[in-house]
Amino acid sequence: MTLSFTCSHQWLPSLPLHILSRLLTLLLFLNFTGNAVADTYKEKLDLQPLSGQFLLASFNFQSHGPIEAFNKQMFQLFPRSLGQILQYTHTRELHLRFALGRWDSELWGAQPGDGQNAGGTGVETWAWVEADNDVEAEARWTSLNNALSGLFCASLNFIDSTRTIRPVMSFNPTGDYPTTNTSSLFLLHGSLPKEPVCTENLTPFLKLLPCKGKSGISTLLDGHKLFDASFQSMSIDVRPICSPHTGACDIEIQQTIDMVLDVSRSLQRRDSPVPRPREQHELICDTSKSYASNEYCYPMDNSFDLPWSLSDLFGRTISGGCPFAINLPVEETSHVCIHAPENRLKTMETHEEVYPTSTEGKPDLQCYMLRENVEFDLAFPKQQPPTTPLRQEPLLYAERSFTGHGQEHGGVKTVLRNPWPNDPIEVVYLESLPWFMKPYLHTFKARVLPAKGLGEEVISELYYRPALDRKRGTQLEAKLIVPPNSVVILTYDFEKAVLRYTEYPPDANRGFDVASAIITIPPQRRRSDGKLIPATSIRTTSLLLSLPTPDFSMPYNVIIFTSTIMALAFGSIFNLLVRRFVAVDEVQRMDLKGKIRGLIGKLKKGKTE
Amino acid sequence: MDRKCLLVIGAGILIRLVLFTAFPSLPTILAQRVEISTPVTSYKRLQEGIYLFTHGVSPYDGGVFHQAPLLLSLFSILPPSTIVTNLLYVLADVFSAISLIQIASSGVPTVTPHHVSPRKANTWPPWAIAAAFLFNPFTIATCIARPTIVFTNTIILHAVAAAVNGRRGPAFVSMAMASYLSLYPVLLLPPLLFLTYDSLKANSKPSIQAFSAVTMIILSVVLMIYFKLSHLITGSWEFVASTYGVHLLLPDLTPNVGLWWYFFIEMFDSFRAFFLCLFQLHLLIYVPSVCLRLRKQPLFALITLVGISSIFKSYPAIGDTGLYLSLLMLYNHTFPLMRYTFFLAAAILYATFLGPAFYYLWVYAGSGNANFFYAITLVWSIFNALIVADAVYAVLREEHETERPELIGKDVVQI
Repeated sequence: MTLSFTCSHQWLPSLPLHILSRLLTLLLFLNFTGNAVADTYKEKLDLQPLSGQFLLASFNFQSHGPIEAFNKQMFQLFPRSLGQILQYTHTRELHLRFALGRWDSELWGAQPGDGQNAGGTGVETWAWVEADNDVEAEARWTSLNNALSGLFCASLNFIDSTRTIRPVMSFNPTGDYPTTNTSSLFLLHGSLPKEPVCTENLTPFLKLLPCKGKSGISTLLDGHKLFDASFQSMSIDVRPICSPHTGACDIEIQQTIDMVLDVSRSLQRRDSPVPRPREQHELICDTSKSYASNEYCYPMDNSFDLPWSLSDLFGRTISGGCPFAINLPVEETSHVCIHAPENRLKTMETHEEVYPTSTEGKPDLQCYMLRENVEFDLAFPKQQPPTTPLRQEPLLYAERSFTGHGQEHGGVKTVLRNPWPNDPIEVVYLESLPWFMKPYLHTFKARVLPAKGLGEEVISELYYRPALDRKRGTQLEAKLIVPPNSVVILTYDFEKAVLRYTEYPPDANRGFDVASAIITIPPQRRRSDGKLIPATSIRTTSLLLSLPTPDFSMPYNVIIFTSTIMALAFGSIFNLLVRRFVAVDEVQRMDLKGKIRGLIGKLKKGKTE
Repeated sequence: MDRKCLLVIGAGILIRLVLFTAFPSLPTILAQRVEISTPVTSYKRLQEGIYLFTHGVSPYDGGVFHQAPLLLSLFSILPPSTIVTNLLYVLADVFSAISLIQIASSGVPTVTPHHVSPRKANTWPPWAIAAAFLFNPFTIATCIARPTIVFTNTIILHAVAAAVNGRRGPAFVSMAMASYLSLYPVLLLPPLLFLTYDSLKANSKPSIQAFSAVTMIILSVVLMIYFKLSHLITGSWEFVASTYGVHLLLPDLTPNVGLWWYFFIEMFDSFRAFFLCLFQLHLLIYVPSVCLRLRKQPLFALITLVGISSIFKSYPAIGDTGLYLSLLMLYNHTFPLMRYTFFLAAAILYATFLGPAFYYLWVYAGSGNANFFYAITLVWSIFNALIVADAVYAVLREEHETERPELIGKDVVQI
C-alpha cells in the first residue's frame, strides 16, 4: 500500500491539479481505511502585526512519518533527497538555519517560537551524528555538510575543522532516543556568518515541501519578497520523536520561515518597483511640533496602520490549500491565522468561500481554513488610530560589539540585560571564534550593573577550548546568572593574527565575519510566579573583524628584497672571514694609470716588432 | 666590584623602578609593541598561559602560548602581584649587569691565550660596560615590557661570565637553560666551549677532544633533565611542538623587527617549507665559520653569533639587539678600527624612530600599508648586519696588527 503511494507520487506533478488532489485524497483515504500508518502533514501561516508598520509572517510546515519506513528508505512525504543524506551520514538529528537581517527585540519583542527557529546571520547548522568515535563522527559530519551544500546551494562545504565546535552546555537533543546509546551520539556545530542567504537557498527549501510551493501557504514564498524583508530566517529541523505511551517512533521534519515585512516598503514596491521619494501631498506632517510650518514637513510615522492585503505584500494570493494538508473527513485545521485585536476591522476578500475556524478562546486570534483550488486573500483595512501590537517582553536582551581601535588588538563586549524585576535568569553563553582572532581568557570578565555586593560570582561554569592556528577555532561557553533588573557585561581582549596572503579572501579589506554568539536559556521555573520558562535561544548579530592586510601585489618584490638583504649580510660577513689582510703596497694594484701604461707598453712592443 | 659599579647598578634599578611606578600603564603599552614582544616572549601571552595552566587547560593545546613549561611553573608559584613580577624583571637586569661586570673584569676581551690586544690599556672600566647595558634604551624598554627574553638574556650573560672564569658546569647548565627557553642560544654552544676551554688554567688542561666530549655529556644530561621536568609539569610532550615547533616553523606571522614575518606572509605555499629550511640553515652556517676564523678570541665569536641570531632568528626583538650591543661594548678598544661608526649609529637611530611611526601608519592610521613597516625592518636588519660586519672587521684588523705591528696605521686591503 505504502509503496503504491510512493510510486504515484512520482508522476503526480504532471497531472492537472484537481485530478491530482482527488486522487491523493482517495489514496490518503485508502491509507487510513487500510489501517496502514501514513505520513501526516500540517502547514500554518501566522501573521502578527508588530510595532512600527512591521508584520511578522511565520510559515510552519511539519510532517511526520513512521521511522521504520524511513529506515527502509520508503519515503512518503519526507523528502527523499534529504532522507538519503541523513541515512548515509548516520545523522540522527539535524538543525539547519539560514538567516538574514537582525531581529530588533527592542521594537518587536520576543522572537517567535522562543527563538528556537532562528539562526545566526548567514548559515548555521548543528547535528547529532551517530558514530563509534570522534574521528568517524568528524568524517560523517564533513560528508553531511558536503551533501547539504549541494542540496541547498550553500557553501556548507566550507564548514571544516576550523569552523566546527562541539558545544558542551548550549545544545540538548530535542528528539527522543530510546534505543540509541547516547554516548555514540556526537554533537557538532558549524556556522558560516558570511554566507549571503538568497533565492538559490529558497528554491531547494521549497522543493522539500510536499506541495513544492505550487499550492498552500508556500505559494506566498517568493524570493523577491522574502529577501526584501527586514529580517528573515529559514529553518529545517529533523528529529525522531517517540510516543511515551506506545513507544512507536516517528521521524519529524519541520521547516519554518519567519519574516518581518516592512509594510510601507512592501507597498511602495508594489506601487513603483524603483524606490523614489514620496510626493509631498502623500506625507503626513506632524503639526504638533512648535517649529512646524507650511514650508517644512516633519513626517509622522504611525498615525495610522497602512491598509494591506496578502496579495499586496506578497505579490500574489494563496492558490488554495495544499492537498496533503487538508484532512478529510473535515477536521477543523486552521491554515492561516492573524493576531489582531478583535475590535479592529478585518475583511475577507475571497474569490470563493473560506471557512473561519475556531480560535480556541483567544479573542485576538482569527484563523482561516484553506480549501483546495480556492484562492485565498486576506485584507487588513486602514486602522486609525494605529493598533497597539501585542508585544511580548523578551526574557533577555543581548547585544555584542567590538571595542578598541586599530588592526592589532581589540576587545569584545557583550551586554546581557534582564528586564524582569524579580527573576534572575540562568543563561549559557556560547561563542565560536575563528582561529585568527585570539582571545585572552585571563581578560574575560563579567561585570554586573548596578553593582552587587562583592563575592557574588556571575559566571558559574566556564568551558574553553583554545584555538590552534589553521586547525580549529576557539570555543567559549559560559554559564552565568543575570540578576533581575540588571545588566551583565562580558568583556575580553583578543589579538588579531596576520594571515598568509593566500588566506585572505578577495575582498580582504572588508574584514572577516565572526559568527553570532548563541545565548541559550535552559528551561527553568520563574521564581516570582512559579511559571515554567521554556527553553529559549537568542542570537546576537555577527561581527565584522578587520585584520591587518599585507600588500597583495608584491610577493616577488618581498622575496627579492629580503633575499638581497640576507645575501648582503652573508656576503659582508663571509668576505671578512675568508680573506686576509695585506698592506696596500704589498699587492700589485691595477689602477687606471697603470692599465693605460701597460696598454701603451704593449702597443710600443708591437710597433718595434 | 667597586663603588662605581654599585652606583651604576643602583641607578639602573632606580630608573626601572621609577618607570614602573610613575607610569603604571607603561608596561602594558610597551608589552603590546611588536618591536619588543614577540609571540614567543610576550608577557600577555605568558599571563594567558599561566591562567590556562592554573585552570587545568593545557596552554600548549592552543595557538597563543609558545613559551617553555619551566617559565610557566616559575610564574605560577610566584605570588600574583605586579610588584613581585616587576621586581623579578629588575633583578634579572641587575644579574645581567653583574655578569657583564664579571666578564669585563676578567680581561678576556683583551687577553686570551692566543691573542693579546695592543690596545688593552684603552679599554673601558667594568662600570662603564654595566652602564652601557643598564642605560641602553633597548634594554630598559625590554625590561619594562617584561617579555621573557629578559631571562634568556640574563642566563646567556651568566653562562658567559661563568665560562670566562673557566667554570664549565655553571656555564653549560646555564646555556642549556637559555637554549631550552628560546632555542636559538643553542648556536652559542660551540664558541662557549672554546671560551671555557681557553679560560681553563694551563696546568690542568685536558685535550680539546676530551674536554668537548665531557661537556657534551653534561649538556645532554642537563637538557634531558629540563625536558623531563617540563614533561612532569605539563603531563605531556605537547609543549615541544608548541614551543620549538613555533620557533622553527613560524605559524604565527605577527610582525616583528625581523625578516621572516613578511617574507612568509608573501611566500607561495609550495615554497614555504623550502625557504623555512633555508632560513634556518642560513643561521647555522655562520657558526663553524665564525668559530674557526675567530678561534683566537672565542668571546668575540660568541658575541658575533649573538648579533647574527638577533637579526636572522625567527622572532627577533629589540631585546636581542640590546644584548648584542651591550656585549659589543666589551670590545670597545677596537672601536677606533671600525669604519662606519657614525653612519651605522645614525641608521640605527633612524630605524628606531621610524619603525614605530610606520607601524602606526599601517595598523592604526590606515594611511600606510604593510610595506612601510616592512621597509623599516629591512633597514633595521641590514644596518644591524653591517654593525656585526664592521665589528668583525675591527677585531680581525686588530689581530692582524698584532701579527704585523709594522702595519699599524697603514692602509690595508683584503685579498
